[in-house]
Amino acid sequence: MTDTQDRGKGQVSLVSLTKRFGPVAAVDSIDLEIPSGGFFSLLGPSGCGKTTTLRLIAGFEQPSSGRVLLDGRDMAGTPPSKRPVNTVFQSYALFPHLRVFDNVAFGLRRAHVPRSEVQRRVGETLDLVQLSDLAARKPGQLSGGQQQRVALARALVLRPAVLLLDEPLGALDAKLRRQLQVELKQLQTRVGITFVYVTHDQEEALTMSDRIAVINHGRIEQAASPRDLYEEPANAFVADFLGVSNLMDGSVVGSAGDAAQVRLANGFTVDVGRGDISRRGEVKVVIRPERVLLEPTGATGPNRIPGMVTNVVYLGSGIQLAVHLASGDTITALVPNSDDDTASAWSPGVSVTCHLPANALRVLGDGVTAHQPHSGAVT
Amino acid sequence: MRPISRLGSLGLGIYFWAFVAFLFVPLVVLVIFSVNDSTIPTLPLSGFTTRWFHQAFSNGTLTTALVRSVVIALAAGVLATAFGIMASLGLLALRGRALTLALAVLLLPLVVPYICLAVGLLILVQEVSAQPTLVAVVLGHSVIALPFAILVILPRLRSLDPAMNEAALDLGASSFAALRYITLPLLTPALVSSGIICFVTSFDEFAIASFLAPSGQPTYPIFLYASARTPALLPEVIAIGAIIIAGSLLLVVLAEGGRRWAERRLIGANVSPAGALAGQDGETGAPVFATAEPG
Repeated sequence: MTDTQDRGKGQVSLVSLTKRFGPVAAVDSIDLEIPSGGFFSLLGPSGCGKTTTLRLIAGFEQPSSGRVLLDGRDMAGTPPSKRPVNTVFQSYALFPHLRVFDNVAFGLRRAHVPRSEVQRRVGETLDLVQLSDLAARKPGQLSGGQQQRVALARALVLRPAVLLLDEPLGALDAKLRRQLQVELKQLQTRVGITFVYVTHDQEEALTMSDRIAVINHGRIEQAASPRDLYEEPANAFVADFLGVSNLMDGSVVGSAGDAAQVRLANGFTVDVGRGDISRRGEVKVVIRPERVLLEPTGATGPNRIPGMVTNVVYLGSGIQLAVHLASGDTITALVPNSDDDTASAWSPGVSVTCHLPANALRVLGDGVTAHQPHSGAVT
Repeated sequence: MRPISRLGSLGLGIYFWAFVAFLFVPLVVLVIFSVNDSTIPTLPLSGFTTRWFHQAFSNGTLTTALVRSVVIALAAGVLATAFGIMASLGLLALRGRALTLALAVLLLPLVVPYICLAVGLLILVQEVSAQPTLVAVVLGHSVIALPFAILVILPRLRSLDPAMNEAALDLGASSFAALRYITLPLLTPALVSSGIICFVTSFDEFAIASFLAPSGQPTYPIFLYASARTPALLPEVIAIGAIIIAGSLLLVVLAEGGRRWAERRLIGANVSPAGALAGQDGETGAPVFATAEPG
């Protein structure tokens, strides 16, 4: 490994990638294209196989079957030390006996980069993560956030084609985490390296990523942009995992133009304008809390269901209401805190009519849509 | 804790001092008689002298035996620690029943009587070379010291974040470079402890040495054993004993100081003092590199 500026574009392809530990498939036949130069997140609950996927790309695990391609090159048989890929570990795995400078210089020295260039590149990279002042410290003398930056610098200094990050912000407190989310995203934009970011935190993934693959039980539920994942979830798992979703069971009873007519429990029928509206039979219908409109009780019109407020949570920027609908469903509604009266207008027991606009209701598919991330967008 | 009654605390105090006496009176007696101006070590004391020390050090056989033992112990200490590193690295990769089995085999010398081991080694050496040699003594001592090396090194190795080794590989290091630049430096405190424990184990070992050392090349325990039965030599033996005691104390102090120094150099400041003396099991109180791990 020499100092090559052009180590490839950093495009990763996973082809029917499978990793079994005993009888359990931690990664189950994943097909995924990670485009070069973007911020790509693997998002899923703990134990879903996202870290194993990352370790397969890094080379710490060998696939049971399937392939990892880096810029079209099959990585099978290439040990971690020879892959143009570097990792930021969840525990940072800094070398506690080496100064910050020597931690960052470690990879360059293994590659026998000349001393003057080591000095220059380590200096540049420490500048990049704003740690130049602390170069002589040992990792044990740094705060968590600083340690995290050292781990980042240590990986970035080698100019990898792909940087793998395994929940790098997991050990930090919430405020620092939000600050570093922004910094990480800016850093990624500046260096232009492909970031593959593993997290279980949906907010983190939505904030930073250009694209997200939602993983569950070793399979990809959906891979799409943050907006598409949130607005056009392919199935109930994705809808539920990203943000708050109101899921309701119903059955399609007909269609009206560009909408499906879905009968909810207790005889209420709503028009559903988005999602898989050609489906028939039992379906799941979803609406985001911020799209639920609350109207005075007695308001009439299509897609309106009477209900009663059962719980009020003051969030500061808004008010979150739990509304028990006459259809039997309890849904969450989010009302912006737009004027002084909003906060006082709602209290448990108040009757209300919920307007569920047709263009905010989605019929969910239940399939896995790894290959067609936009298959849900049939509106 | 319940408060202790006066009687109880008195009893506890007596027990404590009796125990201390049990441990240290023999050593104190040895030191006192090493400077007693009499050829027979009996009370009453007859005056202060340092001539036994002079005589001991002008006794060529005795000093040679002492140097011989030091060389053997150094070699055995280094060898056992080296094998201990390798064994521990191997054990780290094992799980479940394989681990239990491998550990049991490696720690077997702890429970096998040295005298049996000595006889076995003697037979083996005679099959191989026909002549007992000091090399055989070094090898025999390495065998009995190996369990101590493993018991010191393995816990320290287990306390290291396994991701550190992966990080080294990830950054382009070969497996050997990862061992050389990351794992071994972090093991240093345990290696120092291991070296000292193995050194001491070999230094005062009698059974194996007495079977395997060639006649005319006694180690110092063999020489002491033989001399103790010659009344004329007894004061010299006592003097040497006193020096060994002083040397052991110095070694312990130096080792602990060195271990702390190594720990400080490794991790930087803020080393918890919890590792003191407990350092023999290789655990530092709070390894800094674990702080990053959640939960």
